[in-house]
Amino acid sequence: MPSLSFFKRFIHFPFYLVGLFMIFSLVSCSDDDDKTDSIPLVSKSFQDLPAQQTSDYSTNPPTIKGEFTRFNLATGQITTGDDWDIAFRGTTILVNGGTASSDDQPTRTGNAGAYIASGTMGSTKNADAGLIQQDSETQLAIPTGSGNGWYNYAGPPSHLITPIAGKVIVVRTHDNHYAKVEILSYYKGAPAEPTSDNETQHYTFNYVYQPNSNTTSFD
Amino acid sequence: MIRGLLIFWGLFSYWEICQAQKDESRQDLDSDSSVIELGEVIVTATRTQRQLSSLPMPSQIITQEEIQQTNTIRLEALLNELTGVVTVPDFGGGEGIQMQGLDAEYTLILVDGVPLIGRQAGTLDVNRITIGNIQQIEIIKGASSSLYGTEALGGVVNIITKKPEDGVHGHLNYRLSSFNTHDLNLNLTYQKEKLGLQLFGNRNSSDGYDLIPDDELKTVNPFYNYTLQSKISYQISTKTDVLLSGRYYYQNQDNIASSTIKGESQLDEWNFQTKVNHQWNPKWSSYLDVYTTSYQASDFLKDINNQFVSNSEFNQLLFLPEFRTTYSIDNHNVIFGIGWRHETLERSNFVQNPVFDSQYFYAQYDGHFANKLNLIAGLRFDKHSEYASQWSPKLALRYEIHRNLAFRGSVGYGFKAPDFRQLYFDFTNSTAGYTVLGYNAVEKRLPEFEAEGALLRNVVPMSELSKPLSPESSINWNIGFQYEPTSRFSIEGNFFRNDIRNLIDIRVIANKTNGQNVFSYYNINRVYTTGFEVNINWKPNQNLTLKGGYQLLYAKDKKAKEAFENGEIFARNSETLQSFQLESKDYFGLFNRSRHMFNVKVFYHVPQWNWNTNLRTTYRSQFGLFDANGNTYLDQYDSFVADYFIIDWAMTKTFHDKIEVGLGIDNILNFTDEINISNIAGRIFYGKVNLKF
Repeated sequence: MPSLSFFKRFIHFPFYLVGLFMIFSLVSCSDDDDKTDSIPLVSKSFQDLPAQQTSDYSTNPPTIKGEFTRFNLATGQITTGDDWDIAFRGTTILVNGGTASSDDQPTRTGNAGAYIASGTMGSTKNADAGLIQQDSETQLAIPTGSGNGWYNYAGPPSHLITPIAGKVIVVRTHDNHYAKVEILSYYKGAPAEPTSDNETQHYTFNYVYQPNSNTTSFD
Repeated sequence: MIRGLLIFWGLFSYWEICQAQKDESRQDLDSDSSVIELGEVIVTATRTQRQLSSLPMPSQIITQEEIQQTNTIRLEALLNELTGVVTVPDFGGGEGIQMQGLDAEYTLILVDGVPLIGRQAGTLDVNRITIGNIQQIEIIKGASSSLYGTEALGGVVNIITKKPEDGVHGHLNYRLSSFNTHDLNLNLTYQKEKLGLQLFGNRNSSDGYDLIPDDELKTVNPFYNYTLQSKISYQISTKTDVLLSGRYYYQNQDNIASSTIKGESQLDEWNFQTKVNHQWNPKWSSYLDVYTTSYQASDFLKDINNQFVSNSEFNQLLFLPEFRTTYSIDNHNVIFGIGWRHETLERSNFVQNPVFDSQYFYAQYDGHFANKLNLIAGLRFDKHSEYASQWSPKLALRYEIHRNLAFRGSVGYGFKAPDFRQLYFDFTNSTAGYTVLGYNAVEKRLPEFEAEGALLRNVVPMSELSKPLSPESSINWNIGFQYEPTSRFSIEGNFFRNDIRNLIDIRVIANKTNGQNVFSYYNINRVYTTGFEVNINWKPNQNLTLKGGYQLLYAKDKKAKEAFENGEIFARNSETLQSFQLESKDYFGLFNRSRHMFNVKVFYHVPQWNWNTNLRTTYRSQFGLFDANGNTYLDQYDSFVADYFIIDWAMTKTFHDKIEVGLGIDNILNFTDEINISNIAGRIFYGKVNLKF
């Protein structure tokens, strides 16, 4: 009888081998996936992106002038070409998708869009593609005005522009990648407690870029 | 013109002294010289004379004696020493009272029972009020709209001026203090039988002060002001009295915007009151009170070429006749009142010159049962031309368990009508381009902006703006006790809660094409303030009196509290600037509210030397003035204004009963906070002389 049990064990051995092989191959398979298809998330910040505008209130409506500063989230660089995703001037942020609402805006050439999510960068784990809006003639994807979008305006006497805590701008880039952006400061050097003496119209922001196209997850 | 009339009025009343007739003297029942004899008698709580300690609602008196001993000259300084009361500066430069955690807009301020007006930015500036001729100041905490209507949401402060005593009396008072501040008072009274006269004048001036010396602007600019007051009381018959009284106030203050842009601010205020009192029989008596008051403010700024940079006017008028009748038998007292409030305002940046009309009546029953129970029940109805009618009930009970121990409780409704600014403001900032519209101005102005092409889109649909703006209202509860084991020691405690609805706030109603917004007022917030107040009075011996008080306060926005509980609120880390989620325990509450406030006062009196001295301390714990971390709420991670102590010392000595000399130091620790607290000037040394004759 002892010999039988030994035999039985022997008989099962090939199954063990097959099982082990399968586990190995699965593991190596997923390893391969990471290397070929999935590129890790890019987590970066940008300091003091200039977004200057001039305003002349003597005309009605007031004349606002200035170039929009275009930004490419994939390269993490300011750009002057059509490969921009978002563009900044004053407190206004455009996306490279939809239609321009005035002549001095850059032409939309891409498929970019955005929406504002409530939460922290950490808690925003997914982009909800269904919420993405594009710029239109009547409304920007990222609304302007105090309390409407990403900032609060303190009014006189300080006139401070403060990014609203817990607002994350979820962006679809011009070429269908997803990113999330948190604006940290509107003042040069991103002082913790800016005053009206600080130089304004300089964006500092954190962003996470998903380099895999059409992937909404930020995990 | 008006000033001329009032000067004439003053001279006339002086002349009247010589024409006085001799007859038996009797005084207006409602505002009586017997106040002095009875000790602490208060009229504000019930509009009848009541002993302070017997009242079923929280109330306080500041006596003339205390005013004298502390050498104070302006109302603001006195109020700050009361438990749970703090004066806070508003952005218009005025100083209002915060009481039971309610904003300065919600306390009604009366002089001799009639209201002061001139709330340019919502608060009534208590620095306007000189206390050189004051008999006592009465403070009722908690909603009192059942008697007083609008504004009496948080409470009432009533300033009772001096009544003439028999014969000719007068005092001359001069105080000199730091910042080149001078205050001069003259008060003359005459009483002989049927006729009583009073004439009072005050001049107050100061160089102001500067908490931030390295800029061009001063914190408080130099000013001077005059107060002139006169009263004539005459007893027509044994049953009928007449009282005429007038008050005039003028203030002139430098208005400095920069080294090149300068101007002046002026205030002209007057009021005139006629009161007739008739006693029909021992049970019934009636009063007719006709009160008119005007408040005019003008400010201008000019540049170096003498061109106007700004010029604004504020001209408010209130006409308030009231008739009331009281019926009293032994332990029961009933009061009925009926009146009309007519109010107009002309003001720069208004869409129209508004007129408010309101008719009201009220009734109150005040009864005592078995020497143990006191019950007060009141109800008032206000009908208004611009907003919904208001019923304001109040019920208060006091029960004496023992000779030494009593419990009391009250519940009442208070309201504050939307003010003119909240309804008719029409202001566009010329540099930034935003617009603020009063609620009733929206319907007219918004289409006009649209026609001009200045409007991008409406954020709030017009249909939402068709319902009239509601008055802010509150339900106020007070439950407390009074314990007086010996005549030398007493303690009082009181729990309070105010639930406020329809608080008026400001929001964006439309976006403009210039990227700015149109703001307007709306009813939204539900706020509560709740806490506990305790006051102790102890006289260890004949010479020494110790007084102390403490208030614990929680003042919160109910919606904000919910948002914190739901995890919808975030803050920014002050170093990384990244957002993080807040918990419900992180919500601190409303701005400018301190959780703890207390005061300790020591009075020492040496009768054989005619000498008094006192040391008074007030403490205010930390409070927040603005949101620093980007979530619009005040939370634990915001920056707070640090807690502080104010210590004042004063002494007085009287020579030959006629000459009183006073010395003192206010704010001994020289506490200032140049960024956050503009109304605390720093250490002030002073001396005063008071001559009685």
